[in-house]
Amino acid sequence: MDGLKEDQSEIEHINNINGDTKSITEKEDSEKEMAPPVGNSIHRSSSRPQLDLSGAAIQGNFEERDPTILLPNQSDDISHLALDIGGSLIKLVYFSRHEDRAVNDKRKLSTKERFGVTNGNRRSFPILGGRLHFVKFETSKINECLEFIHSKQLHRGDDDNAVIKATGGGAYKFADLFKEKLGVVIDKEDEMNCLVAGANFLLKAIRHEAFTHKEGHKEFVQIDHNDLYPYLLVNIGSGVSLIKVDGDGKFQRVSGTNVGGGTYWGLGRLLTKCKSFDELLELSQKGDNSSVDMLVGDIYGGLDYSKIGLSASTIASSFGKAISENKEIEDYRPEDISLSLLRMISYNIGQISYLTALQLGIKRIFFGGFFIRGHAYTMDTISFAIQFWSKGDAQAMFLRHEGFLGALGAFMSYEKHGLDDLMVHHLVERFPMGAPYTGGKIHGPPLGDLNEKISWMEKFIRKGIKITAPVPMASPRTTGLGGFEAPSSKGDTLRCDESNLNVGVLHLVPSLEVFPLLADPKTYEPNTIDLAEPNELEYWFTVLSEHIPDLVEKAVASEGGTDDARRRGNAFARAFSAHLARLMEEPAAYGKLGLANLLELREECLREFNFFDAYSTIKQRENEASLAVLPDLLLELDSMSEEARLLTLIEGVLAANIFDWGSRACVDLYHKGTIIEIYRMSRKKMQRPWRVDDFDAFKERMGFGDKKPCFRHKRALLFVDNSGADVVLGMLPLARELLRCGTEVVLVANSLPALNDVTAMELPEIVAEAAKHCDILRGAAEAGGLIMDAMINTQDNPSEKLSSTPLMVVENGCGSPCIDLRQVSSELAAVAKDADLVILEGMGRALHTNYNARFKCDALKLAMVKNQRLAEKLIKGNIYDCVCRYEPAT
Amino acid sequence: MDGDRIQDLTFVNSSVDEISHLALDIGGSLIKMVYFSTNREKPIDKTQNNSSKDNLLSGRLYFLKFETSKINECLDFISSKLLHYRGVQQYGFPASDQNTIKATGGGAFKFADLFKEKLGISLDKVEEMGSLVSGANFLLKSVSSEAFTYVNSQRNYVQIDHNDLYPYLLVNIGSGVSMIKVDGDGKFERVSGTSVGGGTFWGLGKLLTKCKSFDDLLVMSHQGNNRVIDMLVGDIYGGMDYLKIGLSSTAIASSFGKAVSENKELEEYKPEDMARSLLRMISNNIGQIAYLNALRFGLKKIFFGGFFIRGHAYTMDTISVAVDFWSKGEAKAMFLRHEGFLGALGAFTNYQRVEEFPCTASLTGDDNQNPLVEDLNDNGTIECCVRSIN
Repeated sequence: MDGLKEDQSEIEHINNINGDTKSITEKEDSEKEMAPPVGNSIHRSSSRPQLDLSGAAIQGNFEERDPTILLPNQSDDISHLALDIGGSLIKLVYFSRHEDRAVNDKRKLSTKERFGVTNGNRRSFPILGGRLHFVKFETSKINECLEFIHSKQLHRGDDDNAVIKATGGGAYKFADLFKEKLGVVIDKEDEMNCLVAGANFLLKAIRHEAFTHKEGHKEFVQIDHNDLYPYLLVNIGSGVSLIKVDGDGKFQRVSGTNVGGGTYWGLGRLLTKCKSFDELLELSQKGDNSSVDMLVGDIYGGLDYSKIGLSASTIASSFGKAISENKEIEDYRPEDISLSLLRMISYNIGQISYLTALQLGIKRIFFGGFFIRGHAYTMDTISFAIQFWSKGDAQAMFLRHEGFLGALGAFMSYEKHGLDDLMVHHLVERFPMGAPYTGGKIHGPPLGDLNEKISWMEKFIRKGIKITAPVPMASPRTTGLGGFEAPSSKGDTLRCDESNLNVGVLHLVPSLEVFPLLADPKTYEPNTIDLAEPNELEYWFTVLSEHIPDLVEKAVASEGGTDDARRRGNAFARAFSAHLARLMEEPAAYGKLGLANLLELREECLREFNFFDAYSTIKQRENEASLAVLPDLLLELDSMSEEARLLTLIEGVLAANIFDWGSRACVDLYHKGTIIEIYRMSRKKMQRPWRVDDFDAFKERMGFGDKKPCFRHKRALLFVDNSGADVVLGMLPLARELLRCGTEVVLVANSLPALNDVTAMELPEIVAEAAKHCDILRGAAEAGGLIMDAMINTQDNPSEKLSSTPLMVVENGCGSPCIDLRQVSSELAAVAKDADLVILEGMGRALHTNYNARFKCDALKLAMVKNQRLAEKLIKGNIYDCVCRYEPAT
Repeated sequence: MDGDRIQDLTFVNSSVDEISHLALDIGGSLIKMVYFSTNREKPIDKTQNNSSKDNLLSGRLYFLKFETSKINECLDFISSKLLHYRGVQQYGFPASDQNTIKATGGGAFKFADLFKEKLGISLDKVEEMGSLVSGANFLLKSVSSEAFTYVNSQRNYVQIDHNDLYPYLLVNIGSGVSMIKVDGDGKFERVSGTSVGGGTFWGLGKLLTKCKSFDDLLVMSHQGNNRVIDMLVGDIYGGMDYLKIGLSSTAIASSFGKAVSENKELEEYKPEDMARSLLRMISNNIGQIAYLNALRFGLKKIFFGGFFIRGHAYTMDTISVAVDFWSKGEAKAMFLRHEGFLGALGAFTNYQRVEEFPCTASLTGDDNQNPLVEDLNDNGTIECCVRSIN
């Protein structure tokens, strides 16, 4: 249906998202107003200050490295703001970039120089790092919105003639208000353009954006970016627009219906006296539509009319029972009326959408708009309609950011927002973990600082499943959504509030890349364990919950055990427990949930309460203890034959992997012996064959088989795990052996602390210390630029320096015990290009994630399983079993 | 509710008529009745020219309706006619027919026991969709000036080419709406439907306006102004048309959408305005879904029937405009004069002797001088013959 151009005046058509509620004059004589058509009235303003890309060297991958919490009134560095002003809600999307603390550590500089990842190169990144925030305000409280914008100085650019992109009916209505209060000009963007641009952005940029919803169960859908178009976008605002989308900026409104959200709310308000849309939705939860609707069973006396596929409970006529003579409106329950209305409208929209998609031959139908609000029953009804009418051939899909389509689209309309070339792997979604908000759909006054956040957490009490304190917005630094609002009661399987799906802050990290050695990035799934299985979910929640007290102890101790640290620790425990409880209830609350995400949420939560390295003391102590015994170990190794040494080294890696503070079993173990005792005992118990034992294949590949001359890898990437014995007594000796063979070694470590994992920041120091006792390591570290005063130390033997194979350290881009190889640092991606061996070590990186990952090069996965359940599930073995999985290049 | 009965009821009450072949369509809201009555004024043997063996009874089909909630009125009526009905026996109807009535609609199941108990009559259940289709086919093929389009408040009767009738989409708007693709006699499929139908109009209308009858609600809607309560495109775009997508400022963006934003309570809205808004919402929605289904199956003809329409000008106008708009003028909504009685007629044609009768020859109605055409609210009688066996 192209070109709905004939002016068939008296038909409805839908449009608009949130209709402006401005009352109009009775004279709708549009002819008199010679205003140009909406679509053409928008002029592209070039006066909007643009982001200055020059000098935009992005130093770190995560700005979280900066430990200070920004104050609410502190303006962001550079920002872009776009609005969608609807009849009931104002949606605000803004982009901010905070000043990075220059992390010019020498390791980085040298690594960059070596691999050409210079600032000059960085500048060529097409997009700028920063954060995309999503915030909502009630339109009736537009002043709060204005204050928010003012306080964050979002309307200020380089000059004073600021222009803000906006869409929605209110963009017209409130233009003067914005001019008056903020001195900014509202630049109105076409509504459809915005919707489509917003949806295209979300579907392309966010991995787990679209989901299906059947019988209360959400399932995220992997969108193939090459097979996205055409799709049908159904935007349910006051009315409904059906838009066929063929590509970026290529779309057509093909249909619509005037029976939409406004109809539900309008009729519902008249019939039930509800005061708000949400109240009306809430009512429907408790309704029984059979008292109002005429069902097939009512007509057929309880019999199904199976001949035409109608069951007795099928609605034959919406409100058909309300014709009864002796009942007045007061005799019907408002709950029943609300449910009947909801079903009528949702079902009707589903039907028209399906028929339209069918007519156009479109397979994918996405629903968005304020009517849905993450409301389970609405989504179920629409899904059912699509399923029913298509006989299962088509399914309805919904979007997590559905409320923000218009605002995002308006944002995209800035000429130089720099997001056009954005790829999925550049985006990291972070959820505010500081406050377990459950209802936060409307933005309230933000918590000013950490102290307020902690105070709130102290007041926060969970009674059963109800949260009895208002839920604030967490620090504006990381939060997009939130608000002081009494959360609605929960517990029903089909919940009413939209908070069951959270919208986090999108962190744009242009330096993130897909790990180039993945055999098939498209099918790569980092998580080994599927948390969709309820048992599995429950198990891990229990594990994490039980670990909280120990973690809090460590965290508090790391901050000197002060009262302040104690308060923060307790607040962290409350917040994280609440998040766990929430995830138990709605596993999709933060998008598709994997164990990697879950473990990362914990680290995020710690960081939000200013625990930046809970294990710093422990890590340091263990590093020192391990380094002390390293020389003896190296002597022992050097006395062996090459072949025996390789086995001992692998045994050593597996044995040393027992030092893991993330494992409950191991934590208990530590209290019983010294590091070297445990290490030796552990290694002694290493009896081959291990549970998964590809050592012989690996040994052969390493040149100890029949194949001569022996093969040497050019470069090996060693993904290291824990601090202390694990890295010092396990991985470093292995690295040393590879270096000895002439293989370049890159130690890949976390960018941010996670448990006792060693970080890329800490490694150079450890290597330097180890190098004091080992020429091989010293020469390699010098060659790799890890030891900066190398010239002085090596003057006595310059020839060795020249011939040394380099040992390098790069950060992986993560702050989690696991690693998602779809998003790694550009440094890692750069060094990976010449690598032909990947060694993943430890449970988090080799088992929980990536156990099934295939690589283009040789890969060795080494870990000791320190969890009985995982051992049973993954390798049909027992706790302390070992995995040595070798897979040649595919 | 006598007011709902159609006017020619008086014919029926005349004691000279013999009634037979009574058929019922018992729906969720209304009971529709069709029966045959001999016309004593015409010689019985007048039409017997092509049959030597069988007797043809000449007479008229009569159409009545009752509210389902007042089924007793219907029972009383049948009861009062039972004596006459039995009189038919003289024409040789088998005794087995005396105590059964052809019936369709959900109520044929639901009220079967009631009929047995009160009248001693068994309901011979005729499948509902089949009845609708038989009724529509009967009307379209046998009754001239049955189908018409409604454009600019003008009825234009459509000459149906019997050889080019199929396939067509039959949209029956009762309490709910059924959409049936008809490919021939007895060849049909229910392809779609919607629960937003006549029952919705009446039910929601009653809740909103406290109106006492469906017809009153229709009348009220005629006097209303939906702009008071519907959100128009112009309301959103400040009076400007949203031309880019082909929407004029007077197009309805959201039915009842204005009711959300004003601090007006239900009592402050005029019932007429709400009735109007409701009628437009439902009519347009039906028109849209019907068009989408016609398009899906490549059907050019869409006939609308069912009791929701009631020859109501504004309803027909809205549906017509909707179909016209969505099809960009390529499809036309057509309506049937006997729109409310499709099911009952179908049940009636289910009587064997009626079925056997060649439809085209069975009617004696004068094409040019049909006196019923002019009365828009009258579903009219149809002259026809049935075969009787000696």
